[in-house]
Amino acid sequence: MSFDESFDIIVIGAGHAGCEAASAAARMGAQTALVTLSLDLIGQMSCNPAVGGIAKGHLVREIDALGGIMGRVIDRTGIQFRLLNRSRGPAVQAPRAQADRALYRTEMRHTLESTPNLHLRQGLVVDLVVHHGEVVGVELQDTRVLRSRAVIVATGTFLNGLIHTGRRTYTAGRAGEPASIELAEALKRMGFPVGRLKTGTPPRLDGRTIDWSAFEPQPADERPVPFSFSTESIEQPQITCFVGYTTENVHDSIRANIHESPLYSGQIKGVGPRYCPSIEDKVIKFPDKTRHQLFLEPEGHDTNEIYLNGFSTSLPAELQQDLVHKIPGLDEARIIRPGYAIEYDFVDPRELTPYLQTIRFKGLFFAGQINGTTGYEEAAGQGFIAGVNAALHCQNREGFRLRREESYIGVLIDDLITQGVDEPYRMFTSRAEYRLALRYDTADARLSPYGHQLGLLGDSDWENFNQRRERLARIRTALEATRFKRSDDAYAAISAKLNTDLGDSITLAQLALRQNVQIDLIRRLLPSNLPSEIKSSDLESALADLLYSGYVTTQKNTLERLHQHDDLSVPFDFDYRSISGLSHEMVERLERALPQDFGQVRRIPGITPAALSTVLVRLKLHKNAA
Amino acid sequence: MPAVFNRHDPSFSVPLNDTIVALSTPPGRSGIGVIRISGAHTLALTRTLLCDPEFVPLARRAALKKLHDPASGEVLDQVLVTYFKSPHSFTGEDIIELSCHGSPTLLLHIVDALLHLGARAADAGEFTLRALSNGRLNLSQAEAVRDLIDAQTHAAVRLAARQLGGEVSTRLQPIKDALVDSIVPLESSLEFVEDDLPEDLARAVGVKLSKVAQQLDQLATTFRSGRLLKDGLRVTLAGCPNAGKSSVFNSLLSMDRAIVTAIPGTTRDSLSELTSLHGVPVMLTDTAGVRASADELERLGIERTRRSITDADIVVVVIDGSQPLTQEDRDVISEVVEGHYVIALNKNDLETFDLEQSRRTLNGAILISVSARTGSGLDALSAAILEPFAASDTLETGFLITNARHYDLLRRASASVRTSETLLAQRVSEELSLVGLYDALRFLGQITGETTPEDVLSQIFATFCIGK
Repeated sequence: MSFDESFDIIVIGAGHAGCEAASAAARMGAQTALVTLSLDLIGQMSCNPAVGGIAKGHLVREIDALGGIMGRVIDRTGIQFRLLNRSRGPAVQAPRAQADRALYRTEMRHTLESTPNLHLRQGLVVDLVVHHGEVVGVELQDTRVLRSRAVIVATGTFLNGLIHTGRRTYTAGRAGEPASIELAEALKRMGFPVGRLKTGTPPRLDGRTIDWSAFEPQPADERPVPFSFSTESIEQPQITCFVGYTTENVHDSIRANIHESPLYSGQIKGVGPRYCPSIEDKVIKFPDKTRHQLFLEPEGHDTNEIYLNGFSTSLPAELQQDLVHKIPGLDEARIIRPGYAIEYDFVDPRELTPYLQTIRFKGLFFAGQINGTTGYEEAAGQGFIAGVNAALHCQNREGFRLRREESYIGVLIDDLITQGVDEPYRMFTSRAEYRLALRYDTADARLSPYGHQLGLLGDSDWENFNQRRERLARIRTALEATRFKRSDDAYAAISAKLNTDLGDSITLAQLALRQNVQIDLIRRLLPSNLPSEIKSSDLESALADLLYSGYVTTQKNTLERLHQHDDLSVPFDFDYRSISGLSHEMVERLERALPQDFGQVRRIPGITPAALSTVLVRLKLHKNAA
Repeated sequence: MPAVFNRHDPSFSVPLNDTIVALSTPPGRSGIGVIRISGAHTLALTRTLLCDPEFVPLARRAALKKLHDPASGEVLDQVLVTYFKSPHSFTGEDIIELSCHGSPTLLLHIVDALLHLGARAADAGEFTLRALSNGRLNLSQAEAVRDLIDAQTHAAVRLAARQLGGEVSTRLQPIKDALVDSIVPLESSLEFVEDDLPEDLARAVGVKLSKVAQQLDQLATTFRSGRLLKDGLRVTLAGCPNAGKSSVFNSLLSMDRAIVTAIPGTTRDSLSELTSLHGVPVMLTDTAGVRASADELERLGIERTRRSITDADIVVVVIDGSQPLTQEDRDVISEVVEGHYVIALNKNDLETFDLEQSRRTLNGAILISVSARTGSGLDALSAAILEPFAASDTLETGFLITNARHYDLLRRASASVRTSETLLAQRVSEELSLVGLYDALRFLGQITGETTPEDVLSQIFATFCIGK
């Protein structure tokens, strides 16, 4: 076979997974081609123009701490920053930002174009070139053939995409863009088990036709919390979003026309996400709710387009317009783009190694929605890991993986490859058993050393990281070492202010953990030898460390005992059937899951404690015998 | 930082250590029972039990020591303490073996004391697993113990299967459901709702948690009885000569096992027989009547009686109710009042039998009117014998925890739930009150199989309309 061009790595798809993958691979020195259907839609936000949120904001911070690009791009293009869960503990707070959709695309393309070793190519991939069980290139629709040592498939909803609005269906990757049919067929031919998922998007409205006075404004934070550790300040002017509600009138109308919805007529076979239900689902499944919340989110500075968040639907377009008119404040509103549902193929992610490489074919990596996930952040996290590992693969170096206890990215990939998915997988903080340690503000401490080792965190970022680490250490020392005794002047003042006795003496750290003590008080009491301008974010991080330290240590020890054998590897030819103490059902579950280490065995659903200890003893014996 | 945080010590929520304890000899009554402790805190735990903070045992040498109840300080037993210093022990860790007297009640009490001090009940085969982990077994040794482990695991599998199909999981499932139900509103308020948890919802969850903790405690408290009933009760008949002990003995056994005559002092030696009372295995012992005697043989018999009384889980004092109470009767009662006992007032078929008179003189004691001759009152006597060992609140179903590991896990689960309940009442941020609830679920999961985060999420989506 003759090749038109040759690269180290080819990334298929320039969505959030593809961009992150290509950037990481190229910056690790691999000659990388990013093949996309349209160079004008790089980094397109197909659905909600927003990045972050609870657990998702954590993911973006982690990508940034590792040296990824999503955080930087959203910081430059975000038009409404909000830190969510402000009244809760720091472990479950997370940044979210509304993006200017067009600016985000431009900024992402610019970022990729200024990356050495990264080559953008427009084209539709129709097949993978396989040689001796190894993927060695791709074939384009325009008959060009590109050679590579690794291929990353990050095709999003494009694999066999089928759009539904009402009874009408048509193949598409996104509204107005062609689907990737032949590549989907190629993957099936290669033996991958393929399933069908569904997602949806709401109608976009013309902002000039909205009665804004009917909605409650939701302003941006006064002090925006950026995503990237490298961002000093947010420069984009910040806008206001608006909150409103549906009415019974709207619900009645949906119920009366439910037979028009492809979701309820049986036309859609794919499974949709339960946490992001369509308005039809909300009305049918929660009949007692008299109203559902809606968010009006501007799509950018230079456009009238408004995203009607909370109103995802696949009802016929003319019916969507009727329903929108029934919403108070939208009586006159015009739909610019109707909402729709889309079904697409995904590959069972249990086909993957922790490095996101397929078990079937060397050099073939999957990232993003093809693995059954949903969300830009989930996609970007996988893209980063796939990009890094494709580069390491080309350099014949050992793979890079993150553990559950150190990152949400680790939780994400581990869940995917051990549990598989039966609905689009979204990250939640409750998925992480180490939630208290995986704070958004500790992503750098947890992961930046890896980013540095991989060569993806630049010198100035590494310098920043070390400086922040030092600042935090100094604050921590000051909090522990500053002690107020009953005889001190300050003691009486603090005691009077809090209206309580503080014992014979109290450290600043102990004081900080008392009820009703505000951060400003702590800041004022810090010793004067610390730099006078202590960053709020630094002080908050140090105090959060204090708050959780007892829990984190206890949890770490408990889980360590539980997980102490997790690294014990399962030999390739390990024969579960020869273990006499295992029931037939347990053997079947184990054989289906093909775990690679005991940690994965432990997480297979339905494995009994007795079966676990039986397998563990066998693995131990096996290891000792080796 | 929000001001909703409180200072509190999370360390009590999960007593943390890696030191395990188990009864190493077979359960049930035996001459001696060996309790084995392994792990980093082995010495510290032993020192506390011995009330001897300075205790430095010589490796591989036995030392005779008094063992105390850490709660009351009273002496429980005199034991042989053997120390195997790390790494020269079976597991490679510090090991101490306590050779105690073989009464199940006593052994249980000691294991229980160790659990309360922070040790953990060992999993099936865990000592061997630790030995393997620490490289203390070479291949051939490992092969040799493998069959043994398999046997243990088999037993564990069978036991687990029986219990999973049966009562433990049936009993625990509603408790786990209640835990998940409590987690759901807390978790969904964190993940999806910007507003704080409403006061009335927080209160409702608090009430539910307090009920969960109570149920867990109730199950845990059935352990002591459960274990005793499983391994068998030791019941000793005592009393003055000719009160009719041997008659009662024969009646309870439903056979003429002991020789019965009208001659006081017929029974010279203790006589034991295995039987079952209301389905509970019982080792019933007839003893020589207690009196001052010049007869060498009878004196020896009486000595045995005293030993049998000390060793019994419960003593039945047989008194002739047709005669006025004698000083000797009172002496016998005074010997047994320390432990469990019931009085069988025998011969209620005779005319001179006077229950009311005896009740007045034996004020406060549990008194059962029986006739060994007619069989009258024997059922009531059997019930009275078992009464102290049946936890009252579970009597109707007769459900009892019999496994030390289950007992340990139930206690830990209950403690975790109570911690969460307190944090919730203080209105600290939900991710902290959730820690104990997930811990509790994990502990219960170690009995019945895990509940995964996916189960919790499913419940959230079924309950709340989530999503923008």
